[in-house]
Amino acid sequence: MANGLMNGALNRKVMFLLGPVTGLVMFGAVLMVATFLTNREYKEPYRAPTSIVEPTPRVDGLAAERAAAEAAAKATPYAEAEYRTFPIVGSRVAIWAVAQLHLLFAAFVLAVPLFAFIIEVIGYKTGDPRYDRLAYEFTKLLSTSFSLTATFGAFLTFMLIALYPKFTNYLMSVFSPTFLPYVLLFFFEAFFLYTYYYGWGKFHPLVHLGLGLGLNLVGTGIMLIANAWLTFMMSPRGISDQGAVLSVWDAIYNYTWMPINVHRIIANVAFGGSVAAAYAAFKFLQAETDEERAHYDWMGYIGNFVAISAFLPLPFAGYWLAKEIYAYSQTLGLTMMGGAFSWLFIIQAVLIGNLFLAANYYLWLGMGRVAGMQPLQKFIKFLLIGIAVCFAVWATPRSIIATVSELRAMGGSTHPILGYLGVMSAKNTAVNILILTTFMSFLLYRRTGKVATVSWAKMGHAAQLAIFAAAAFIVIFLGIYGYFVEATVRIGLSVPQVSSVLAAMVSITAIDVFLFRGASKTGEVRWGKIPVISQYVLIFIAVTFTWLMGLMGYVRSGLRQHWHVYGIIRDNSVDAFTPTLGFATKVVSVTVLLFFLLIGLVFWIASLHDRPDFEQRTKAGRAGAHDTETGEVSPDLPVATPGA
Amino acid sequence: MHIPHTIRVAALVLATTGFYAYVGQLVPQKEVQPPQETTLGPNTSTADMVKIGRGIMEGKGLCLTCHTIGKTGALRFPDLAGVAVRAKTRVAGLSDVEYFAQSLYEPTAYVVEGFPPAMPPMNQPPFSLSDNEILCVIAALQTLGGTPTVTLETKHHYNSGTAAPAGAPAAPAPGGAAPPAKAKQ
Repeated sequence: MANGLMNGALNRKVMFLLGPVTGLVMFGAVLMVATFLTNREYKEPYRAPTSIVEPTPRVDGLAAERAAAEAAAKATPYAEAEYRTFPIVGSRVAIWAVAQLHLLFAAFVLAVPLFAFIIEVIGYKTGDPRYDRLAYEFTKLLSTSFSLTATFGAFLTFMLIALYPKFTNYLMSVFSPTFLPYVLLFFFEAFFLYTYYYGWGKFHPLVHLGLGLGLNLVGTGIMLIANAWLTFMMSPRGISDQGAVLSVWDAIYNYTWMPINVHRIIANVAFGGSVAAAYAAFKFLQAETDEERAHYDWMGYIGNFVAISAFLPLPFAGYWLAKEIYAYSQTLGLTMMGGAFSWLFIIQAVLIGNLFLAANYYLWLGMGRVAGMQPLQKFIKFLLIGIAVCFAVWATPRSIIATVSELRAMGGSTHPILGYLGVMSAKNTAVNILILTTFMSFLLYRRTGKVATVSWAKMGHAAQLAIFAAAAFIVIFLGIYGYFVEATVRIGLSVPQVSSVLAAMVSITAIDVFLFRGASKTGEVRWGKIPVISQYVLIFIAVTFTWLMGLMGYVRSGLRQHWHVYGIIRDNSVDAFTPTLGFATKVVSVTVLLFFLLIGLVFWIASLHDRPDFEQRTKAGRAGAHDTETGEVSPDLPVATPGA
Repeated sequence: MHIPHTIRVAALVLATTGFYAYVGQLVPQKEVQPPQETTLGPNTSTADMVKIGRGIMEGKGLCLTCHTIGKTGALRFPDLAGVAVRAKTRVAGLSDVEYFAQSLYEPTAYVVEGFPPAMPPMNQPPFSLSDNEILCVIAALQTLGGTPTVTLETKHHYNSGTAAPAGAPAAPAPGGAAPPAKAKQ
């Protein structure tokens, strides 16, 4: 007992020291970085003061030399540096990593309010408090993330000014009218975010929803301004051949601005949903009660639902962006799809294939939550085969690096049979069928444990099946037709393919809503009753989404190759070359790891909110110790209620 | 042995990012250097021009990113095999050199049927080929089914200061202000 008390006192002393020691370590780290950076500057070697040195011809000569050097230095006019070098990794990698981390946190901070707001609206409309709790739980992740986004934003700005001063100055000269609105919006964002978070339950629900709407509008406004800067670099407009500004609005509303805006909003939601689902998965794994498991299973499901719902239309937004890139410059488009970056899209295919596989697997595992899922289980193997085939087609390269003997055996740089699958006709078909298949998994999950009771149920099912079949037929037919027509016709075929898939998704969902209205239930959803591996699948999806964002961010930026502003401001730095894909994927991986390290910190800080107060825990600890000694169980132990 | 979930999650994150980085090592690795300025002296022969022109087609000009040489089937842009022969009769009133020059300076003037009008002017950014570099590309194109004839002294509509062929549209502006560029053979 005495030993225990002594250990407790010692632990408290150690814990008391933890804060200052951490602070000192951080201060020491900053000092080391500052010393390292300043040590790289030239310093004159130490010389004894003249007063204690005997005047000799050599000493006089040295003094004269020093005076001349000093005079020359003073006479040198100020010259703006074009580039500066970041130590060890170089300027490009440093900017790359910081920009990527800033964008990942920004995407999360923009996405979470979007679906938190929608969930809160559902809670308000249905009167179900679970939705309100869930929306609040998502919002809890925002506060710390917002601070990190701002920190990385400031870091990125300083890095750009320090490492690429001339180019940054040029961008500032073009976009200076956008800076004040940006700063104002940032203030508004902070206002809305903190009032939305801290005002939860403190206002009338409609007032609170208004704050949420304001947060989303302001956040989107910030993103639109920042997107103008980066899309201008890729597809400049509103300037002369020499770069002089002709129209700031044209510079903002350049070719790729709106496609990037739309693509980013959708991708942010998909990414934010997946990270929120990963948070829920992590909490599920740590949960100690069935109640907690049920709550976090539900939260993970909603997060993943948001992610996959946004992920399904994402390829269509991607098509639009690619189309605009081609419309702006065929060279840029072909560099992307047929030149230096063409192999990057094979890596992208691996990632997206994994996402589809994992998302479907999670849905299939989720069917186990409901009794009576057996009739639907028989479809899963067909869906799996469909996904695997589409994945294989999408990941087929058009031409491959091969040895001379392999080339001879193939009869050329492309495989005589598989080479036909490496072209866009086949790939467009594969991705559209993948989307249809995943959508079918969603539908199967939705109807697990339910039986339609409307009088036209049979006809409804038949109509849904017919629409599915028709969409699949159109997609496959146009995919094959693309091999037999000229390039001008073939390029346009992706539009009816995409349209038929979208039309099928909308019409089938509409039928489904009415079909299962008042459906009888064969089994209740048992939240929390799902294999543990499903939670690792959610984390895998979040990591894959993040990595995919890193990769696609690289191609968007890297496409400019040796240009800061494409065709206008050339990159003359030592980093003007385009690195290998192997190098790029290493940088992306390191950045993603850093992001997950930091998001782990965000999760931990958010979880402090649910932690019982120290006093309560201490009392509970004492009571527990007493009960253990007496063999009784205390009925008053405080229990953390997640999301309460 | 029970492994804490935190360790398992960390291992999963590490393994996933490691796997994708590994996939990145499996694809062909190519570092693309910025294009170098071409040095052309007064003594550069036609044979040298062919070599330089071919280098520009493969590198700075990015010609072979879109065009193929000796391929058939569903092509996105015209194949260049035998183009020297076709260039002599492609557009009435234009010699092969004039036709090639028009194709490179003003690709919208004539577009081969069945292909998208997508080729950008090669004398403008982001390529900014000089007049002499374009002559070298013409020399290289002349070898595809013919014999090169151009020298650095060769004059055509676009480097002699004379007017462009009748009916040809004005050259588009560069960069973002440019209308969609056109394909040309």
